[in-house]
Amino acid sequence: MNRAINWLVLLAILAAVVGSFVYLGLDLRALVGNGGLEQMGEYATRFLSPDLSSGHLRAVGHGALETLAMSGLGTLLAMIFGLLLALPAAGRFGWPLQGAARLLLNGLRAIPELVWAALTVLAAGLGPNAGTLALALHTAGVLGRLFAEALENAPPEPAAAIRLQGGSQVAAFCFGTLPNLWPQLLAYSLYRWENNIRMASVLGFVGAGGLGQMLYTTLSLFQESQASTVIVAMLVLVLLVDAASDVMRQRYVRA
Amino acid sequence: MSIRLHGASLRHGQVLALDGIDLCIEAGERVAIIGPSGAGKSSLLHLMASALRPSSGRLELLGEQPWTLSGRARQRLRARVGLVHQAPPLPPRQRVVTAVLAGRLGQWGTLRGLANLICPLDVPGARQALADLGLADKLFVQCGQLSGGQLQRVGIARALYQRPQVLLADEPVSAMDPVLADHSLGLLNRHADVNGVTLVASLHAVELALAHFPRVIGIRDGKVAFDCPADAVTQALLDALYANEQLLAQQPVPGPSLVVQIPRC
Repeated sequence: MNRAINWLVLLAILAAVVGSFVYLGLDLRALVGNGGLEQMGEYATRFLSPDLSSGHLRAVGHGALETLAMSGLGTLLAMIFGLLLALPAAGRFGWPLQGAARLLLNGLRAIPELVWAALTVLAAGLGPNAGTLALALHTAGVLGRLFAEALENAPPEPAAAIRLQGGSQVAAFCFGTLPNLWPQLLAYSLYRWENNIRMASVLGFVGAGGLGQMLYTTLSLFQESQASTVIVAMLVLVLLVDAASDVMRQRYVRA
Repeated sequence: MSIRLHGASLRHGQVLALDGIDLCIEAGERVAIIGPSGAGKSSLLHLMASALRPSSGRLELLGEQPWTLSGRARQRLRARVGLVHQAPPLPPRQRVVTAVLAGRLGQWGTLRGLANLICPLDVPGARQALADLGLADKLFVQCGQLSGGQLQRVGIARALYQRPQVLLADEPVSAMDPVLADHSLGLLNRHADVNGVTLVASLHAVELALAHFPRVIGIRDGKVAFDCPADAVTQALLDALYANEQLLAQQPVPGPSLVVQIPRC
């Protein structure tokens, strides 16, 4: 009985695969034969000779800096807004504000960065402003949610002890809650920064500045060697940011 | 008049932790609270510290009723009352110097307090408070690296640095060795004596209570069992205070109790 069901499942998967090819009209023969493979190979080889002329390198460097600044500023803004929203979302100011803050965070988080970028390009114009804003808006939603959960799970006793000896709410938060909390907040923020540097290199496709915009332009103009320089620059940038955030994590989070 | 309780009761859900306590502690008095585990010693101290609100009855602290005051006035009153916790709730990543300086957050404005987070402003003061307890070398260590007894001493240093008029201590020496416990209690008592501070401490060790404090209050089942000078405490009083009916009822049954299991493989 079991064996029969297994065979039936296999048959169903096979039928689904064949059905998908037929429905989408994919022609494997045209893709592989008829010079198709050669064409693809030819296109790929044109990426193997990146344009290393000084003028293009300078442009790519500029774009890389723009991407770095976009991701860094976007994450920093998101950390600030996230923390500001996380305090009410963790129920520190009563349930009406908690509900409102959670709704806002969910809204910010539900809309992906690319959609935010498409919207902010319309609102703030083409360029890195739009990209920074898009990253900040989406990441604020993500970090706000994570920060709120960290706040809810933080032990209340240290802050309560400060309140009991007459300290203000702000002092109790900074002396009782933050010391346990900030390594966690930093770890979340670093992780989102790594995500954002990758996202920042893509946001240019909708006109939000940085390396992505260069990549989009060069690809559209069939300048494969220039595009390949941009791709290499993106890889280097991502590796650098991963390394930097790893160093900061070793230094501050696991101390 | 420092602390006065009028028929104060405290209810944790179904459990009546304190049952109509009437107490009066004068300014500058030094009082030890003893009693069996779960008798309500901690609840009584937290009630006095205005950490818990009495379910019924009244608390007067330094001539004021904390639970009829506005929030702001209550915080000002609390700044004059220090509580040493049994397990001081200090963030593990906070440095000892910051934890001690936090004692005066009630007296300082918020801005001055926050400046201490970035750069400790009164290192000599914190060092002095810790040096009295033999912890001066741990000034810049993180609290998470200290043992339970060391943490308790940091908690005491923080309360002393606060310079309160009423000093409450909830089992302040429970995690210390006998020599340290004796020294720390002596220090608390000298500090209270010299500065005219009212000192109330709950203790497990009866001999420490009798040796250091002029007045001893016995608490049992949330009620005051006795309240008298230390030299009037008799063995009969102590036996009645610590008598444990539940243990007596469960006399160990003699017989073959040793069962050896040998694994079969």
